[in-house]
Amino acid sequence: MTTMNKTDVEYTIPEVTPELERGPVWLRDQRRASREAFNVAEVPPRGLHLWRYTDPKTFLYDRDAVADTAYSENYDIVEKIELDNLKNGNIAALATDLGGRDIKLNGADELAKQGVVLSSLSSAVEHHHELVENYLYRLVNARTGKFEAMNGALWNDGIFVYVPDGVTVDKPIHLLRESGLARSSQFPRLLVVVGKNAELTLIDEYGGGSLDENEGISHANGAVEIFGLEDSRTRYVMLQRQASAMKLYLTHRAQIERGASMLTVPLAFGALLSKENFGVTLNGEGADSNMYGLLFGSGYQHFDNHTLHHHAADNTSSNIDFKVVLKDRSHSAYTGLIRIDNDARTCQAYQENRNLLLNEGVRADTIPELEILNEDVQCSHGATIGPMDPESVFYLEARGIERDEAIRMIVSGFVDHTLKTVPDDLRQRIGTFVAQRLERI
Amino acid sequence: MSDAIKQQNESLSTLNADYAAKYGFHDPVDYFHKGARGLNHEVVEMISRMKKEPRWMAERRHEALDIFYSKPMPKWGNQQALGEIDFENIYYFMKPIERQQDNWDDVPEYIKKTFDRLGIPEAEQKFLGGVSAQYESEVVYHSMKEDLKKQGIVFLDMDSGLREREDIVKKFFGTIIPSTDNKFAALNTAVWSGGSFIYVPPGVNVTVPLQAYFRINAENMGQFERTLIIADKGSRVHYIEGCTAPVYSTDSLHSAVVELIALDDAYIRYTTIQNWSRNIFNLVTKRATVHKNATVEWVDGNLGSRLTMKYPCIQLVGEGARGEVLSVAFAGVDQHQDAGAKMIHAAPNTSSRITSKSISKDNGRASYRGLVKIHKNAVNSKVSVECDALLIGDDARSDTYPTMEIDSEKVRVEHEARVSKVAEEQLFYLTSRGLTEDDARLLIVNGFMEPFTKELPLEYAVELNRLIELEMEGSIG
Repeated sequence: MTTMNKTDVEYTIPEVTPELERGPVWLRDQRRASREAFNVAEVPPRGLHLWRYTDPKTFLYDRDAVADTAYSENYDIVEKIELDNLKNGNIAALATDLGGRDIKLNGADELAKQGVVLSSLSSAVEHHHELVENYLYRLVNARTGKFEAMNGALWNDGIFVYVPDGVTVDKPIHLLRESGLARSSQFPRLLVVVGKNAELTLIDEYGGGSLDENEGISHANGAVEIFGLEDSRTRYVMLQRQASAMKLYLTHRAQIERGASMLTVPLAFGALLSKENFGVTLNGEGADSNMYGLLFGSGYQHFDNHTLHHHAADNTSSNIDFKVVLKDRSHSAYTGLIRIDNDARTCQAYQENRNLLLNEGVRADTIPELEILNEDVQCSHGATIGPMDPESVFYLEARGIERDEAIRMIVSGFVDHTLKTVPDDLRQRIGTFVAQRLERI
Repeated sequence: MSDAIKQQNESLSTLNADYAAKYGFHDPVDYFHKGARGLNHEVVEMISRMKKEPRWMAERRHEALDIFYSKPMPKWGNQQALGEIDFENIYYFMKPIERQQDNWDDVPEYIKKTFDRLGIPEAEQKFLGGVSAQYESEVVYHSMKEDLKKQGIVFLDMDSGLREREDIVKKFFGTIIPSTDNKFAALNTAVWSGGSFIYVPPGVNVTVPLQAYFRINAENMGQFERTLIIADKGSRVHYIEGCTAPVYSTDSLHSAVVELIALDDAYIRYTTIQNWSRNIFNLVTKRATVHKNATVEWVDGNLGSRLTMKYPCIQLVGEGARGEVLSVAFAGVDQHQDAGAKMIHAAPNTSSRITSKSISKDNGRASYRGLVKIHKNAVNSKVSVECDALLIGDDARSDTYPTMEIDSEKVRVEHEARVSKVAEEQLFYLTSRGLTEDDARLLIVNGFMEPFTKELPLEYAVELNRLIELEMEGSIG
């Protein structure tokens, strides 16, 4: 395999690479377009507001170290827990994705009886080529940006989920995306199509990665595309609990049509550095999108999150509640944009970003943005940044609760309101993820 | 065409025919030195020589010009409009034949006539402490009431300030906004002319607002005022700056620099009503440094201009300092008001508030662009930001781009923004009580602006309400 030289200012993807030469013509064309876009696109200047807080060069790296990636021992434990969950009927199916290389499916056959497809992207390209050709690269592609183009050119394999019209998948499908250890790099990709009046809950869990900075950083550059067709109901939980020497770039784009609803729950817990971008386009009348984000930072973690609600049709409504808790020397930058097009009338859009700072030395930046291009709207956003109330800590301590536990209780209270708005069946699951993360705070 | 329609068309064609006379009045002027269009070191040298400035100022100008050349245009904001500015097609200095006048009676008649329409003499009699009326690039008239002088208050145009109080000017000029700050601050430093210079001695309370009127009165002519206000320890001062301008056919540039310094326990309020004609680019840098327990308030109204980019900044550098920005923007046809505020907390126990109200009408666009920055040592600081936007018309646009960078834990930061149109229920309520829809809408808009207008001196508030009324005429349909 050709090597990209790290010392080179020009990180380019060479013209001939085996992964670009597979699949049907349309796919090879898309990959080529992505490669060319990546190679000609400038590194975004730091002055550009979405790049103010993270150096784009972080995401330029030698993609070659992937050759023989090893995975953490913890992975087996996590996989076993989810296999138990499957056995006990808590989830409908489990797909495991090792660095975009090895995709294993459990429970996919059962789903197939309903016509639901859970498969690797490479297999879907063969067996569901019309669907994949129609939807893949539509929301995240060479035109989205340099790093989206990078994924578009270099993804090896990914996951494809399709729910036919009118079908309800009554339990969550769990995706386990594991990154390799030190100096590995991966390009996970996900395509989801939820048919008319169909229903799907997806838990997309990103784990693994390098555990020790001294051994080397590991990288992932992910792309997620989700389509909610008319009157569909989709719930997407993105659990990011990657290891402490992992750097992640992820672009998520969803598009929902008339009458469809979308719930997006980004849980940003892990990684040394992550830049995650979640966007939903409300593309049909009456579409409704909710986004509940929770972010816990500790140590030297750096988070750079964006959310976008783009109203492109009449009578659409959206709501974002993004909560941030920071400890030690962690840093969070949150940029949330609501855009309402000129021809999208009578829309409602709300956005809230609250930041809780647990000690000195943390840093929180928040940029809640609005771009409203017509008068027929109801729109608001709010942001707060503040410390823990020392009186609350004192109150709990006075009652014999240890300080760490008291802080945990206050943090739980801070995020509780958000958890309460999540549907019952999901709340318990997300509550467990949150509790696990809190134990380490 | 029937006679009736013809008649109607005729009467329509005369509608607003007196606009130029009413609001865009300008007298034929006789320029002593109009200079040439364009900008180079020769022009800068000429400006400095004509003003008989000390050499250090001339050197500052030259240095600033080089910085201006080296700085890029802003890469954000309204790129299209910014791209239309042709720096080579602008006069950088003009001055009327008349020299500065001490006595109102000596002010030339044609200039007086212009001021009369703006209501200056009356305002002076009734209300004002002093008038520093800027006509073209230089102050032509300047009066100061005896009691101000007695208290040791210095209220001069900037050119006179440099002559008479060189010590103070040299000490503070460009310390708050250095030439390197941005392209337009560099431009202003290179070619500045006029503006106000105010020094309030320790403990002095200026009980009447100080006021200056600015006017641009020649086609394609830029105005580059330079204002410096220093409130010494424990003093208080309120300065009002208001602009009206004639209607012109080609674009004109206005790029002021305003520096405020509030020393310990001092208070400065700076009120601006900006109503440039709709061909003017208004790219202004305003910044205040606030020391221990002092307060600075920017009250900023943007009604006119084609494109305004203005983000009054407050640096809270002393413990317990307080800052407030209250701004209103009205963006009508083809206007873009890109305004906001910058609040830098660099000391403990500092507090600030930003209130921004904007109205976008027709295809107008109002953007709030703001920055709140809290440095590590600014513990126990409080910030509250509120942005309200009102949209009138299907093609109106409102943007909110607030940035909050918080580097300290023990702080409270709150930000809120709302965007809405005039509510149907409110309209219904008012019309059901016998108001016409036009009046109802006007009432609602005035109510929306009220937190701003109530901070203005009475005659400004009245004037503002009238302007809004004019803007709102026939806004239905």
